[in-house]
Amino acid sequence: MTVTVPHYGNSFIGLKVLFDALGINYVIPPRSNQTALDLGVLHSPEEICNPFKLMLGNYIQSIERGADTIIIIATNGPCRFGEYASLQQRLLKKAGYSAQFIILNTQSGKKALFEGIKKIGSHSSCSTFQKMKALLLAITAISLMDRIEIKLRYCSGYEKNKGECKRLLQSCYEAVVQTNSAKDAVKILKSFKHSIKSLPLDYNKKPLKIAIIGEIYTISDPFSSNHIEDQLMDIGISTTRSLTPTWWLKDSVLKPFKLNSLSMHRAAKEYIYTCAGGYTRETVGKALLAFKKGYDGAIQVFPVGCTPEVIAKPILEKISSDKSFPILTLIVDEMTGEEGFITRVEAFTDMLERRREKCII
Amino acid sequence: MYYLGIDIGSVSTDFVVLNKDLEVEDHLYLNTQGLPMKAVQEGLKLLKDKYLNEAINAVGTTGSGRKIIATVVGADSVKNEITAHAVAALHINPSVKTILEIGGQDSKIIILKDGIVTDFAMNTVCAAGTGSFLDRQAQRLGIPINQLGDYALKANNVVRIAGRCAVFAESDMIHKQQMGYDTPSIVKGLCDALVRNYLSNIAKGKDISAPIFFQGGVAANKGIKNAFEEALHTQVLVPEHYNVMGAIGAAILAKEALERSGGTTKFKGFDLEAAHLSTRGFECSDCSNQCEVIVIEENGVIIGYYGDRCGKWLHSVKMPS
Repeated sequence: MTVTVPHYGNSFIGLKVLFDALGINYVIPPRSNQTALDLGVLHSPEEICNPFKLMLGNYIQSIERGADTIIIIATNGPCRFGEYASLQQRLLKKAGYSAQFIILNTQSGKKALFEGIKKIGSHSSCSTFQKMKALLLAITAISLMDRIEIKLRYCSGYEKNKGECKRLLQSCYEAVVQTNSAKDAVKILKSFKHSIKSLPLDYNKKPLKIAIIGEIYTISDPFSSNHIEDQLMDIGISTTRSLTPTWWLKDSVLKPFKLNSLSMHRAAKEYIYTCAGGYTRETVGKALLAFKKGYDGAIQVFPVGCTPEVIAKPILEKISSDKSFPILTLIVDEMTGEEGFITRVEAFTDMLERRREKCII
Repeated sequence: MYYLGIDIGSVSTDFVVLNKDLEVEDHLYLNTQGLPMKAVQEGLKLLKDKYLNEAINAVGTTGSGRKIIATVVGADSVKNEITAHAVAALHINPSVKTILEIGGQDSKIIILKDGIVTDFAMNTVCAAGTGSFLDRQAQRLGIPINQLGDYALKANNVVRIAGRCAVFAESDMIHKQQMGYDTPSIVKGLCDALVRNYLSNIAKGKDISAPIFFQGGVAANKGIKNAFEEALHTQVLVPEHYNVMGAIGAAILAKEALERSGGTTKFKGFDLEAAHLSTRGFECSDCSNQCEVIVIEENGVIIGYYGDRCGKWLHSVKMPS
């Protein structure tokens, strides 16, 4: 058995560590790119979400590299994501690819979920204790990677040597996938995290600060969001992103106890007090938190047809006019022209800069 | 002491030379015709005899071709069209509150408050309400584009044209022609449809208050200006240099940029017209990003790269000082 997983932000690093530690054969698909999207578009219904198409492309690229089992999570309820697995299963079959699916369904009871986990575990020769340890290593790796990314994207506004944060982040991604030892991977991540401390930063700088909000998959995946965070990093803007794989893990674990994302929900209460599907509340909440923390603006990115974010959009417009807090909405899909996207982001950051300069004078 | 601004758009490439008091000394409006490099060389050639290289203190570019042309001419500031248009309008009238801009292939609205851009919108998925569409319809009706507006003013009937989509609008116009409406009324109907589309699409939910500036190539069309005034019930101002406002903004931004950094201009001079400039693209396959990288060459020597996300190609070129 050779397993594979679709891409979702930094999750592949954690999963690679997990499979390495468990001694399971795996294929990590190439990070989402135009080829994956083209493959996905070819085999998907036209009006389905962009993440769906990209994931399908990921599977096909993995199958071409020898994968035969696909592991995917299905969380019924919040949005169409819950239906992804079963639909993708059919589409792959129709397209003539043979692959088995292990669906980790989090909504149809603990039993189904554990069955899926057991199925994966049965392919590893490790003892239960070692398996638990592997899981722990994986979680450590994923949260380290997320923390490194968040820290560097924030620090890029303060860096003394232009482009240093971006280069460090790039070399971290490159280094961590080189090793096939789970322990080494965690070690590498730890050393990168440590090296952030020695980055020369200038705290006297007052960079623009922008919160990246919107659909969870799109903002976590650089290709989907047209590398918006890298673009902002290049021009020395500090960014923060609300949703990451680590956040998702924490949110999923705490959800049954209703202790998940308390701060965002509390902040969102002013405008929306109930779940409207997906992460509408988190998007609204994060925008309001960013405003309270003195951020200069927020950019909402979501794929065409994402209902939860469509609900959030008019709320964000209201927040924008109520609080005089600029929020730019960008909608992406396979038809998005990159140049137009970049122009809009650039115009937005210019606007923020000029707004602020005027304030000082 | 002059400042040069270049706006490389889809339809036109505009040049503006501002004097030290930021007044327009010279302006050119050239057709891009899909060859921005050639248009820029043409423009520089036309300006060459009037100005010395040393007299140019700063150069700025804007428009969709701003980045590539910036490398070629040695620009000091590279800014998007929205900022450039806003800066130019504010320079003429610091109290301007709304800017309606309709260019060749895009249209935008810019909302300003106390001299700062507070909100903007740009057409995203459709170009039905832009200059290219008018161009095509004028051609079809056999009217020179610069007379289209005058035709609209002669209308005595009200004709409603479907304006949601350029193709359907054309079908509707043909239908109205067959029904026997006179050309001026149809042209007026077309102007009204374009304005209706603009206001319900791009300007939706925006607070449009006076003073309102109307700029971009389409502002030459009196029919559209009138239609805007009728729909908004207020006066719409068309600035003197409405068609080169982007270039004016680019020149002012270049001046500001150099004043802030305290450096000198990177302008390569007007002699560029003799150089052999070319661009080619390739797909970098060094990582999974698969960026489309554009190579810019001058007389066979690579002077710049554009489009690589990691900056590996971009930084491989050392700019001659």
